[in-house]
Amino acid sequence: MSDPHNPRPETGIELFDHRISRGTLLRGAAGTMLGMSPLLAAACGGGSTSSTGTSASTSAATPVKGGTLRAGFVGGGTAETLNLYQGVTPIDESRAQNLFDPLLVVNPDLTTGPGLALEFNANAAATEYEIKLRPGVEFHNGKTFGAEDVIYSMRLMAKSANFASVPFVAGINLKDLKAIDATTVKVPLLYPDADLGANFVYWNTWMVQNGEKDFTNPVGTGPFMFDTFKAGTQSTFKRNPNYWQTGKPYVDELLIQSIDDNNARLEALQSGQIDAMAQLPTADAKAHQATGDITVLVAKSPQAMMFYMDTTQAPFTDVRVRQAMKLIADRPALVASAINGFGSIGNDIVGKGLPFYDNSLPQRVQDIEQAKSLLKQAGQENLTVTLQTSPIFPGFVESATLLAQQAKDAGVTINLKQVPPSAYYNPSALYLKMAFAETQWPPPSIKFFYLQALSSKAPYNETHWKNTAWNDLLFKAIGETDQATAQQTWNQVQKIQYDQGGYINWTNADWVDGLSTKVKGLEPHPAGVLGNYLFMNAWLSG
Amino acid sequence: MGRRLLGAAVSLLVASVLIFIGTSVLPGNAASVVLGRGATPAAVQKLEQQMHLNKPLTTQYTNWLGGFVHGDLGDSSIGLAQGQKHAPVWALISDPVKNSLILALITALFMIPLSLGLGALAAVYAGRPADHAISIMSLAAIALPEFVIGSLLVGVFFVWLDVLPPVAIIPPGQSPLSDPTKLILPVATLLLASLAAGIRMVRAGMVETLQAEYVMAARLNGLSERWVLWRYAMRNALAPSVQVLAQNLQWLIGGIIITETVFAYPGLGSLLVTAVGNRDLGVVQSVAMLIAVVYVMLNLVADLIVLLLVPKLREPA
Repeated sequence: MSDPHNPRPETGIELFDHRISRGTLLRGAAGTMLGMSPLLAAACGGGSTSSTGTSASTSAATPVKGGTLRAGFVGGGTAETLNLYQGVTPIDESRAQNLFDPLLVVNPDLTTGPGLALEFNANAAATEYEIKLRPGVEFHNGKTFGAEDVIYSMRLMAKSANFASVPFVAGINLKDLKAIDATTVKVPLLYPDADLGANFVYWNTWMVQNGEKDFTNPVGTGPFMFDTFKAGTQSTFKRNPNYWQTGKPYVDELLIQSIDDNNARLEALQSGQIDAMAQLPTADAKAHQATGDITVLVAKSPQAMMFYMDTTQAPFTDVRVRQAMKLIADRPALVASAINGFGSIGNDIVGKGLPFYDNSLPQRVQDIEQAKSLLKQAGQENLTVTLQTSPIFPGFVESATLLAQQAKDAGVTINLKQVPPSAYYNPSALYLKMAFAETQWPPPSIKFFYLQALSSKAPYNETHWKNTAWNDLLFKAIGETDQATAQQTWNQVQKIQYDQGGYINWTNADWVDGLSTKVKGLEPHPAGVLGNYLFMNAWLSG
Repeated sequence: MGRRLLGAAVSLLVASVLIFIGTSVLPGNAASVVLGRGATPAAVQKLEQQMHLNKPLTTQYTNWLGGFVHGDLGDSSIGLAQGQKHAPVWALISDPVKNSLILALITALFMIPLSLGLGALAAVYAGRPADHAISIMSLAAIALPEFVIGSLLVGVFFVWLDVLPPVAIIPPGQSPLSDPTKLILPVATLLLASLAAGIRMVRAGMVETLQAEYVMAARLNGLSERWVLWRYAMRNALAPSVQVLAQNLQWLIGGIIITETVFAYPGLGSLLVTAVGNRDLGVVQSVAMLIAVVYVMLNLVADLIVLLLVPKLREPA
């Protein structure tokens, strides 16, 4: 849901952490202070390649025009921002995705399709691209969108203050970006990348106008135009009558409301003060699926919830110990208990449903005997370890507690240590220093996750994975232009993580939201909450 | 009175030091909030400079307090960390302050007469069913935290009867008074959670004075019971009650923080909660200091009222 490199916590209490998480997510979560509201959501792909599971769909019938769509999110207080290159929470994302447009859109099956860009054409070595832009697209101020806007946007993303967008343009030779004509941009790269387009689907990379400075009155090409913004409270947007996706949006106005408390957000929905709420707690989701008084929107998504082991800290330096820990986890039980079943079973590699995810690996299942035997070989019978957890995302503390129980069967003692959300993703405090902990990643692409979490220069190397040969293989996979060879190489990259890595991926958690029954047109989408914030598709019946 | 004013000034100074130290030792800061997982030591250091956190604590403190005394509440740390040159705290909190004041004033408007009335009623009927009913109900209410009372009220008046809105969402720039129905449940929550202490204090004071000799004398002189009650007993029972009512009003400030969160009411409480989470020290310090000023002022006013009610205290000791 939110920012992939900074997840945010989900609850209100530590709002702080909201921001922390990989960007956005965390922020979103932040609202949880007082433990009230979780951010969360999650998602992950279904069984094979496709990933959009759903529970309720709201389509059908002819869209009715007009009205105001009011959506409630966990707020971020004064930290809420309209700067899409700094935003890290779902509420920031909800505004950005409706003000601006991406070069490529994410389809409901997690493939990409044309957005503001019609084509990404690479040279044979995948070291330079020509991006063909959609002609005739207008900004909200009437200016025509073109090549100079793309160049300006990419360079703005690279500014260090725009920490959320920097990773996406890190492989581009920004100095030599060139407008070939009004709708064609030449993009030279620093290393081969066969799928540059995947860098420009995530909301921290969407296009702004040439010269955009402070985002106090943001001008985009998106389906809604900026009207008002009061951080931590409310923001409003008007329908863009000249939107390039003809006929959309259907509603005249969009209102985004900050409501940190989960109960208050749900009550606001039930009493008709809002029409949609992001991040319905899974327990409430279960209850309201039964009563049917609201529409529960559930989307399978690649949002990975994981335990992780630092491969450079004992006892996890021994690969047999890591393998034993992976065999101890009873994933179906974790999903059923910790998140009330709102997730698919994880398989220790990230990105289920995304292109290049390896679906051929066997599903890992609990095997206590094998785990015991591995621990014995490693000389670690009666192993005792400490797992640090935090109520930063819903399901973290619950899953940690359950894992500790499951480990007893293998003679492993897991001592739980609950730490404040404010420290959990804070590199000045605990983050990247814990030997055994939990994390959450909503990856926009497989490439993004591996570059951010596991490559030799990964800024968020939670498992402290260092392996030169593997790193070479990773960059070979990224630069491989032949689709079949690329998939094979990506499979090797993932197999090594599956066998030797420090991640125990127990679920790909669903996005779970609530809608008023009169909201139609919003379909579950694996890329984000509330149908990936595609409010241009929504309409109000009755 | 001069001594009291001096005492108030010293209290505020001590409060300012405590607030400053208390917030400075919070782990993490706005830089790590804004940066999230990107909060590498180098990036954090850069933002700390932007937030003027690189200066010595004493300099930060004197700058902040000096500004506060002159009516400048300083800048929001989050705003500075996001790269704004100025992010005045007052601009962020002026609406929430107004909203919270409205909520507190309306609550006080009901709380004071209800405390006095119910307290007197319980005292007059001491030991009889009316007294027990009032005491038990007020005790039960005070035993429950605000979020439980709030949830119970929502359960009854929204889920069950569906006559009142369960949340108080108020658009920016609009007065909470424009739709008073939204205020009913928050005010009722605050009242239920706060009435008991006042009622019990008034009752205790009244029971005592009703047995005093001068009250007896007044009765024996044939004054009407109503006159005795309000002119003699209440006035004397009021002195200790005023202090309790002042404490109750001070307590309201705390109660409001939770109640606002429960009802998504856009006041100072919700703002403070997110500001603490965001480690927005600029906002937290100034809001905490404003609350301290209100506390001390309420005490001063209560002292003044007591002086008016009890002439004997006016003479220098």
